[in-house]
Amino acid sequence: MTPPIAQPVIESMMEQPPPLPLRLPPPARARQRSRRRRLTPARIGIYAFLLMAAAFFLLPLYVMIVTSFKPMDEIRQGGILALPHAFTLAPWRQAWSGVCTGAACEGIRGGFWNSVWITLPSTILPILIGAVNGYALSFWRPRGARLLFGILLAGAFVPVQVMIYPLVRVMALAGIFGSLPAIVLVHLVFAMPVMTLLFRNYYAGLPDELFQAARIDGGGFWRIFLQVMLPMSLPIIVVAAIMQVTGVWNDYILGLVFAGRDNLPMTVELNNVINTTTGTRQYNVNMAATILTALLPLALYFLSGRWFVRGIAAGAVKG
Amino acid sequence: MSLRRFQCAPHLAILPMALVAIVAYLGAALWTLRISLTGSRTFPSGRFIGLAQYQRLFDNERWMLSLHNLALYGVLFIGACLLIGFLLAVFIDQRVRGEGLFRTIFLYPYAMSFVATGLVWQWLLTPGDGIDGAVRALGFPGVRFDWIVQQDMVMYTIVIATVWQASGLVMALMLAGLRGVDPDIWKAARLDGIPAWRVYTRIVLPMLWPTVATVLLLLSTAVVKLYDAVVAMTQGGPGTASEVPTKFIMDHLFLRSNVGLASAGAVVLLVPVLALLAPYAYARSRKEAA
Amino acid sequence: MLGAGKQSLRVWLCALCAVVSTGAAAAPPSPRAEVIHWWTSGGESAAVKQVAQAYRGAGGDWVDTAIAGGDQSRAVTINRIIGGKPPTAAQFNTSKQFLDIIDEDLLNDVDDIARRDGWDSMLPEPIIDVIKVRGHWYAAPMNIHMQTWLWYSKPAFARAGIAREPRSVDELFAALDKLRAAGLVPLAHGGQAWQETILFSLMLSNLGGRELYLRVIRDRDQAAIRSGDFRKVLLAYKRLHDYVDAAAPGRNWNDATAMVIAGRAGIQVMGDWAKGEFTAAGQRPERDYGCLPGLSPASPYLVQGDVFVFPKTGDAATVRAQKLVARVVADPAVQLSFNKLKGSIPVRPDVDLGQLDACARKGMAIVRDRARPLGVMEIYLTPDQNGALQDVLTAYWNTDMPVAKVQNSIASALRY
Repeated sequence: MTPPIAQPVIESMMEQPPPLPLRLPPPARARQRSRRRRLTPARIGIYAFLLMAAAFFLLPLYVMIVTSFKPMDEIRQGGILALPHAFTLAPWRQAWSGVCTGAACEGIRGGFWNSVWITLPSTILPILIGAVNGYALSFWRPRGARLLFGILLAGAFVPVQVMIYPLVRVMALAGIFGSLPAIVLVHLVFAMPVMTLLFRNYYAGLPDELFQAARIDGGGFWRIFLQVMLPMSLPIIVVAAIMQVTGVWNDYILGLVFAGRDNLPMTVELNNVINTTTGTRQYNVNMAATILTALLPLALYFLSGRWFVRGIAAGAVKG
Repeated sequence: MSLRRFQCAPHLAILPMALVAIVAYLGAALWTLRISLTGSRTFPSGRFIGLAQYQRLFDNERWMLSLHNLALYGVLFIGACLLIGFLLAVFIDQRVRGEGLFRTIFLYPYAMSFVATGLVWQWLLTPGDGIDGAVRALGFPGVRFDWIVQQDMVMYTIVIATVWQASGLVMALMLAGLRGVDPDIWKAARLDGIPAWRVYTRIVLPMLWPTVATVLLLLSTAVVKLYDAVVAMTQGGPGTASEVPTKFIMDHLFLRSNVGLASAGAVVLLVPVLALLAPYAYARSRKEAA
Repeated sequence: MLGAGKQSLRVWLCALCAVVSTGAAAAPPSPRAEVIHWWTSGGESAAVKQVAQAYRGAGGDWVDTAIAGGDQSRAVTINRIIGGKPPTAAQFNTSKQFLDIIDEDLLNDVDDIARRDGWDSMLPEPIIDVIKVRGHWYAAPMNIHMQTWLWYSKPAFARAGIAREPRSVDELFAALDKLRAAGLVPLAHGGQAWQETILFSLMLSNLGGRELYLRVIRDRDQAAIRSGDFRKVLLAYKRLHDYVDAAAPGRNWNDATAMVIAGRAGIQVMGDWAKGEFTAAGQRPERDYGCLPGLSPASPYLVQGDVFVFPKTGDAATVRAQKLVARVVADPAVQLSFNKLKGSIPVRPDVDLGQLDACARKGMAIVRDRARPLGVMEIYLTPDQNGALQDVLTAYWNTDMPVAKVQNSIASALRY
């Protein structure tokens, strides 16, 4: 993926020993000092654009939050953007522990731990295997690995729905259909292309001398991986973790089909609440339930967004 | 380098990848191909009927419309995401105050699923109850935004909602690429008196090609897999105006109990993807061999 | 070698003893039934709880697996059957969808309960045709829904000056005109494909009549589809579009019912599951709202039902649980308590009619006349044909397709 023009640039980037985030601050500080008090029309334009974009991006979240604190009468009267007049916490209590999801009316809290138990292994396992794959592809290049990687990349385009039937059959043959191992395996299958791509790009960006030096020191495949490569991969592991946690936590269809009755994730409960076929739609409870379900990935983003960008900068996008 | 070291460990290490690639992906592809040649209804059957499913597929107006919608959507979605993501990255890179906050605001939509946000977008874009109602209440009567209920315009609403979700990720990737640009280039450009925008378009953008290539790959996979947004926002409507191939396939798999037709649809959907990827992969392998 | 052989023999004998003793000592556990269904809203939850409570009262252990959305629920059921972990019972509609499952020999039958309760004489014929296949009964019916009731708001009719209920298709259009003149929304409608199909079914059954309905839907007679009578039905269906408000596309059916409840709209054509909405809003039939089963005294009564199917298993405990579920479902008291909350009518005529509301009593009386019930489209068409027909109908509703093209499209859709 490296066209001739970019080649010298990338090589020059690779000659600089420390990773990107460390290199950046000094020139930035120098530039900022000279630019600080200049509010030119250009700067006003920049801020205006960013603020308008921010308003566009925040609009749905604003509607969700505002609606979840309104009583139903206020919602029926209209005014989707208006702030709540009669502020109420009842929808939140209802969503967490009272709303009906079938014959049981216990809210969506039941699905929370199921989602956790699904997400943890479904993040750790694909990251580990993706890292090993990327490592093997970048440095060792075993026979046939590139063909397998090509198949994986093509497979990344396959919609989930197409693979449901074959995977159900395979799981049934293995006797694990409808259980936690089944859903973790399915998530592993769908995550492998992107995880392998991320780690392969990252390791391709590391200097080859590092690897050669470790081999000369007498390291074998696993020793070099565990003692040299893996500790260096922290930025990309953060990126992979954030992407995978988000994807798995928000998944609906795979959890519905493969997880089995006792492991249904929170998104299934959420769908039961939002998409019931009869009864008045309690928009405020729906919004509260939605925010509750999205809290974990959102919190993850708010807390680690910085490392996400740094991780991508450190190597996810090189060729 | 001793050959013995190469044989065992790396090959064993990629065994999971081999299993997944061959059993899951190749296996599923071959199985789908086989089923598309049968008359399977609710359950996969072995009754071969040749290319009849494909004949029926191309006779089907809803399928042809879904392909047309996907092509239109793909161009608009990728174009808009690239443009907005690039602009956002460029503007954030200008040492603005509150960069972390802006970045979080642009990235958070990626953390939310469409089961939830689709409902909100449908509500926002509903004529009367949504944004245009709010704008009218503010004192602008006659404002009407009813794309979501119009046959010709509904795909654009899906573009809006999905661009909202994905531009943040594109921005993050572009920002990382921009940060990797050598600051000496900026200094040289300023010395030469080249205006900033020209630096961006003529010099920086070509340098970002690897980043753009990765972004294109990720966005293309998202385009082909478009499903949640359509189901959550319009259910394929009004009528069948916002139908997309994955929804056609899913509907025929379970709702319409026609696994054979759904499999034929899946094969037709993926053939152009493979046709695009194969020459690219071939070109790359030749480059790496050279 | 011999010592080892004796050792392992002893181990096997001990194991055998343990198995036999536990088998003899333990009493048979209460029959555990895992039931998949899609009754997830408040009212439906209350209704299915009645069945669950009755099951528990009969000594069983009801494990509830609710999944919102009929399509998803059925998809999960099918996947679990394929995956080897089937539920004890699963909800289905009376449609041809589970014919394929029967063909693959994946369902247990409930012949004994059917014979005991005399389902042959009790159930409406369209439903018998669906659940009785090759002489065996493969589902336990829970209720009977009618798809094309006309619900109207009494205050709205009063405001529009409509003196009496429309008794023909022409009177229906006259009433809609009067409602529009009074500034109300004449027809409350949600712009989703299945709701448009309901409007079409209303016109086909009331304007086209029983014969045309069966020739088009059951026999898929190409000549009938291209006939002038069918053309009239299609035009009347499209004419209803003029009476629908502009925000209809995508609207959910219960939001449309809310318009009638509030008196903002005059009429809604919807199945009797809509009755629950009126009841939840505190309205009473014949006082606040009216319910019409059809536009003439002998109009066809389009029935569909929810049934429970029982995935095949040889496990004795599960079969016992399945039989218990079927018995509980068919019990008159459970039929009454479930259907009161659900809005549908019981499948048995021998329930206490006094406890049902006026609309349900109308329905029960009609169903007793074995000539009137007619199946909804999905009873006669495969899911695929039904879906293809729906695609054409919704395209016709939403675009300016000429009616001749519609007839051709329907003819080719129903040909496969």
